[in-house]
Amino acid sequence: MDLTDAAAVSRARGGDADAFRLLVDRHSNAVFRVAYRMTGNEHDADDVVQETLLRAYRQLARFEERANFGTWLHRIAINCSLDLLRARGRADKHYGGDPEEAELSGAAKSDAQQDRLLLSAELQKQVSTAMERLSGNERTAFVLRHFEGMPVEEIGKTLGIQVNAAKHTIFRAVRKLRESLEPLVKQQSRTKPCNT
Amino acid sequence: MQHLTEEQLVLHHYHDGDGAAEVEKHLASCADCRAQFETLRRVLALVDSMPIPERGERYSEQVWTRLRWKLGSERRRLRHWQVGFAAAAMLAIAFVSGVLWHQRIATAPTLPQQSASSMPVKATPADRAKPNQILLVVVSDHLDQSERMLMELTNADAKHSYDMTEESKRAEDLVASNRMYRLTAQQRGETRIASLLSDLEPVLLELAHAGQSLSPAELAALQKRIDDAGLLFKVRVVSAQTKGTDSL
Repeated sequence: MDLTDAAAVSRARGGDADAFRLLVDRHSNAVFRVAYRMTGNEHDADDVVQETLLRAYRQLARFEERANFGTWLHRIAINCSLDLLRARGRADKHYGGDPEEAELSGAAKSDAQQDRLLLSAELQKQVSTAMERLSGNERTAFVLRHFEGMPVEEIGKTLGIQVNAAKHTIFRAVRKLRESLEPLVKQQSRTKPCNT
Repeated sequence: MQHLTEEQLVLHHYHDGDGAAEVEKHLASCADCRAQFETLRRVLALVDSMPIPERGERYSEQVWTRLRWKLGSERRRLRHWQVGFAAAAMLAIAFVSGVLWHQRIATAPTLPQQSASSMPVKATPADRAKPNQILLVVVSDHLDQSERMLMELTNADAKHSYDMTEESKRAEDLVASNRMYRLTAQQRGETRIASLLSDLEPVLLELAHAGQSLSPAELAALQKRIDDAGLLFKVRVVSAQTKGTDSL
């Protein structure tokens, strides 16, 4: 079916299930990505995808056809992720990730005599661990600013906090990430000449 | 000149701060701040490499399979009050029938010449019509839930164990309602529904007792059993018949 998103929305509003399925086909993966960044958990992200699309279906009548459906869906996904995190009481707690395990993986890293692929996998693991060290609000504020490009004012509204508080939440998140990842960045700088 | 703070560097990175020109000017003339900014930039670039688990090519199809049931429920949302009402009505009917039956037994010895009309008889079509409509509405919802569970099971990858933590509780609930609807369908002469529910019950029972997970072998055996019995197909057919043309 070769329909624009707007046309598919219009048909879906009229009860055309195939048209809504087309929207699901087009946007499921993108919704999963934002949900995963927000929740940091694969299964939670899958649940958020379901909830997002269900909410979108319920609210199709409210969608303005001039708007971008993907952006609209993205916004719903962010709200669904926040709702899920709040419902699980994780909004102000750490995301998990056993700190001891994180320490161990950090220690294992120094042992590295790995090829580039393994190094890249290790880096990704370190980044995931660093993200897991953020509190719920820190991660959310950071993801919204860094990945979603949301203005700080908007982040404040989304999280229900003042603009200054939102700003400081982002600062704290960046500081923690920097503390975790700066050694890696420096190590990369040192090893770069050897790799070339 | 004072060095830039970490906050100023973060704001500058995201183009959020005022006085971007001044910050630029400072960075151009201060090697320390430039190094700090470069480190920050590289740390944040590293964050961009955060892995996101790959979803398979069929992800949207899987999403849709799960979603269509919920969307179907949305469309039937207006019917939910009917289901609630129907369940309550069935309970009321069962209660009144029980009371009447009890009274009949209690009074039987004192009425030796009891007329034929007061003896237990099969329900007439007129008697059956109303409760059967109620039964269809309730069974339709039950079949939807059962079909969804069977679908998830048959679509599961039999190379891996299947997590039953939540499913077994769902199956337990379905077994209880399945039993009640099967007995009611038998009593009301709805043989087609009764037969389907009889076929469905052992599978639901097995799922309810599966524990935390199904091993790959157990899952494969169950999938084969469902497939051999054409259970999913039968559920779909009877489900469609009970609810008419609702197809989403």
